[in-house]
Amino acid sequence: MLEIQNLHATVGGTEILKGLTLSVPAGQVHAIMGPNGAGKSTLSYVLTGREGYEVTDGTVTLDGEDLLALEPDQRAAKGVFLSFQYPIEIPGVPGLTFLRTALNAQKKARGEDEVSAPEFLKRAREVAKSLKIDFDMLKRPLNVGFSGGEKKRMEIFQMAMLSPRFLILDETDSGLDIDALKVVADGVNALRSPDRSMLIITHYQRLLDYIKPDQVHVLAAGRIAASGGPELAHQLEAEGYDKYAA
Amino acid sequence: MAAVKKTVDQVKALEAYEHGFVTDIETEFAPKGLTSDTVRYISAKKDEPEWMLQWRLEAFERWLALDEPEWANVHYPKIDFQDAYYYAAPKEKVGPKSLDEVDPQLLETYKKLGIPLREQEVLLGVQGAPKYAVDAVFDSVSVVTTFKKELAAVGVIFCPMSEAIRDHADLVRQYMGSVVPVSDNYYACLNSAVFSDGSFVYVPPGVRCPMELSTYFRINAAQSGQFERTLIIADKGAYVSYLEGCTAPMRDENQLHAAVVELVALDDAEIKYSTVQNWFPGDPVTGKGGIYNFVTKRADCRGDRAKVSWTQVETGSAITWKYPSCILRGDGSSGEFYSIAVTNGHQQADTGTKMIHLGRDTKSRIIAKGISAGASSNTYRGLVSTNHKAANARNFTQCDSLLIGKTCAAHTVPYIEARNATAHFEHEATTTRLSEDQLFYAQQRGLSKEDAVALLVNGFVREVLQELPMEFAVEAQKLVAISLEGSVG
Amino acid sequence: MSLSRALETGDLAELPSRRDEDWRWSDLRGLIRAIPPASPDASARGEGPFAAVCSETMLVINGGSARIHLAAGEKKTIALRLISRAEGTSHSADVAVTVAEGAELTLLESHESFGAGYITDVEMDITLGASAVLERVVVATEAADAIAVTLARVGIGAGSKFAQTTLAIGAKRQRIETRLAHPGAGAAVRLDGVYLVGEKRHTDLTSTVTHKGEGGTTDQLTKGAVAGQGRGVFQGRITVERGADKTDAKMGHHALILDDRGEVDSKPELLIFADDVACAHGNTVGQLDEQAIFYARQRGMTLAEARALLTEAFIGEVIDRIEHDGARDVARTWASEKLRGLT
Ligand SMILES: Nc1ncnc2c1ncn2[C@@H]1O[C@H](COP(=O)(O)OP(=O)(O)O)[C@@H](O)[C@H]1O
Ligand SMILES: [Mg+2]
Repeated sequence: MLEIQNLHATVGGTEILKGLTLSVPAGQVHAIMGPNGAGKSTLSYVLTGREGYEVTDGTVTLDGEDLLALEPDQRAAKGVFLSFQYPIEIPGVPGLTFLRTALNAQKKARGEDEVSAPEFLKRAREVAKSLKIDFDMLKRPLNVGFSGGEKKRMEIFQMAMLSPRFLILDETDSGLDIDALKVVADGVNALRSPDRSMLIITHYQRLLDYIKPDQVHVLAAGRIAASGGPELAHQLEAEGYDKYAA
Repeated sequence: MAAVKKTVDQVKALEAYEHGFVTDIETEFAPKGLTSDTVRYISAKKDEPEWMLQWRLEAFERWLALDEPEWANVHYPKIDFQDAYYYAAPKEKVGPKSLDEVDPQLLETYKKLGIPLREQEVLLGVQGAPKYAVDAVFDSVSVVTTFKKELAAVGVIFCPMSEAIRDHADLVRQYMGSVVPVSDNYYACLNSAVFSDGSFVYVPPGVRCPMELSTYFRINAAQSGQFERTLIIADKGAYVSYLEGCTAPMRDENQLHAAVVELVALDDAEIKYSTVQNWFPGDPVTGKGGIYNFVTKRADCRGDRAKVSWTQVETGSAITWKYPSCILRGDGSSGEFYSIAVTNGHQQADTGTKMIHLGRDTKSRIIAKGISAGASSNTYRGLVSTNHKAANARNFTQCDSLLIGKTCAAHTVPYIEARNATAHFEHEATTTRLSEDQLFYAQQRGLSKEDAVALLVNGFVREVLQELPMEFAVEAQKLVAISLEGSVG
Repeated sequence: MSLSRALETGDLAELPSRRDEDWRWSDLRGLIRAIPPASPDASARGEGPFAAVCSETMLVINGGSARIHLAAGEKKTIALRLISRAEGTSHSADVAVTVAEGAELTLLESHESFGAGYITDVEMDITLGASAVLERVVVATEAADAIAVTLARVGIGAGSKFAQTTLAIGAKRQRIETRLAHPGAGAAVRLDGVYLVGEKRHTDLTSTVTHKGEGGTTDQLTKGAVAGQGRGVFQGRITVERGADKTDAKMGHHALILDDRGEVDSKPELLIFADDVACAHGNTVGQLDEQAIFYARQRGMTLAEARALLTEAFIGEVIDRIEHDGARDVARTWASEKLRGLT
């Protein structure tokens, strides 16, 4: 599904990704672990096309299509979803308004019919309930004044509503207590399917107890320093990242 | 009891202005009043070339045609420009060759002011303290400049303006008046006609000036104005940090100080200009006397990526009217303004900055802290502007006012003119009083009320103090505390 | 010195010029070369923007007078339509509004244009008794080549509540000014504004609030968006006089410049003569938050959609503060329509 070849990227003139190669086949869940500052968030922004993240070499394709040539919203319409490490506050725009605008924009881009308001609200209620989100919170300006945990839950809520095909979770577990972690993991697991892939960025193996990865990669100094099965996560938890230090 | 207390406070407040002594030395004055003959007299006294005299006379003609400005937030009786001396100099035959020839009274004065004129003294100073070269201006003339040789070795010129006019005429002619045009405003125009001395600095391309440069200005003679003129040029890639300190004796009449400071920064050059202004503020109770400080300070970031930073600690003067500004002409150039303005007694300060964004990707930052106490008035007035072409101009301004007591005033008057879609200007301002809770908390932990005030005020101005060279930061901190003494009942 | 004096006397020297500090960005002297003849009598046209949410309407057409008086304890919603149906002529209106003790008025004011090239001048005197309540919502839609000046002098009583939202799209020169004398004494003031200025239009929202007594609040929020060669001016002055302790005043002005020829000039002033106060202002001019735009695009919105949504939300923060439900809806619809015209 996602193929990254020899990816080099700079931020503010500094090269952060230095020849990263990674392949995530359809239906699989891959975890990326790595020390602070390794470039994990940078990877997530490069994949989603954030301004200021400049690709200087390499390719990224989604189902064979060049992802890097697309605008951020075109990538979203192709099904690429990023759960932000630090979700953005949007004053003045209620969460539901924001989400419906986004959903309809994606549908329009894909040539699908828009969802009607009642239909949208019905689904939103169901999904909110399953993620134990107070529906009233969705009427408040998106993320404004939310706690860290609430913001992360709002990310998963949007993810569930938009049903993307390629999911990137950037440290979605940080800031969550154990109950919230389970709720989030359940939400993510419910989306697992043969035609969906996921890239889970995390510091801790804890999340991977709930969302079982097919593969685990170590990202250090801008490239994949090691890959293995779920056992690699346990090993990293015990030994740390010292041996991958640049 | 109340009367006794008042007298005690008064004496204490007078003591607070520790630079309020008069030096008794023989002084030579220009004839009182202002005519074109006064201008000729000054020029002749300084042995100036003809072009300089013409420049002055032209400025004088223009000054006659200008109207004296009236300002919203400062009030003072009309100045009689004919009732002042425009030139006063310590009497001596020729300029001193070395420190040993300087009038010992004068040296005593500088000693009282704590200005290290003797290089040895600087060298013997606190261990590890950086060296700084000093130019001292007494009334109208520059008395002595230290460390000249060491500076000359790296090509840095640091000398009295009168000397620069004679020895570095090309540089002076090229740059003087190019940042502050002769008829820019009433007082700058007056200065252009009658300026007496000041400092001149030129730092050649790529040179990092090896020490802090500083000038001490002192008005000593009665009824005399001081019109110094400073010009600093940092050539491509050069760096210089400059500090000026100002004091004056206590007198009953108001004295006029109308300086012009011009800074020019070429490509990749950086100038840091710091001021600790402690002119006599006038009698704290009656408001009598004190300096009228009407100063024009402007920097031209003429080159790409040039950087100018103004830092000022304004505690003195009866009236301050002053807006050190930056013209951000070069692409990627940046300007900073850090200010502490303290007013007490009957002082009035109207001060701030102008950041004029003309080049692309220019940045500016303004941090202004105003403290008003007594019956004083303290105004921040600032302008941030950009034209259509200054793409990506950025400004951040933070203005905070602290009020101490029921009879003072604090004003914030920011002007913003944004003229393109990529400009991003942000301004925040707050006005608060000294928190009773914080005062009580500090007192509960054992601080006296005065110390508690000093502590809290220091916290309030810390961001700006950090911008000053270390040893001056300590001095400035003390000055702020002294200025506010007796302000909390 | 004012436009109304100039219209009255025919003396151009009465016009404020850029040399007057309070008119530095909205010069009239250089703009008006001759005083145009008086506008003729005319009849009303159409329905005002508030017709659907308000049953009582007062009309002032091409100048004239209007008196609105609410007796103690009365409660009303009144639409006031100030109509310019004129071509190249000039007219003045004066309006007096008194809301007696304990009375409550919602004043839905529209400045409507069915003409071109006119000069209109409106002077209002608004008086609120003790504990009276007035919410004033102004929607000013002048012709692009008109010159329109409105001045409201407001005096309010102890414990009263005055709330105002002005929505403007500019004109050749448009100035909407409010001068409010605040007694403190538990009275609460909200002074809001929205400007959406495109083409070569100019608008100037100016206000002065003078706190004269202890214990009053003022809360001001103005937001604007400027496109084309439009120019938005905001001048706000809050004065806290000696003795007006426990004043709580805040002022915010935030503007977006959408095109490179647009201009925003602002001057938010605080003049404080009392020490026991909490006063603050914030002023920003710039663009929409880039992070928010990226976030919205990551969720699938196009750049244009993200901008439109965020701009509407930006302006919406002011409109949400309108208390009258119907007026709020009218204002919201009006603003999103005008915004679409800008972007
Ligand atoms: N805007 C930026 N400008 C310069 N360097 C940046 C910027 N953003 C991130 N970096 C640097 O890039 C590196 C990788 O950051 P990031 O991808 O956030 O790491 P991680 O998510 O793995 O902790 C860090 O060294 C960080 O400091
Ligand atoms: Mg990260």
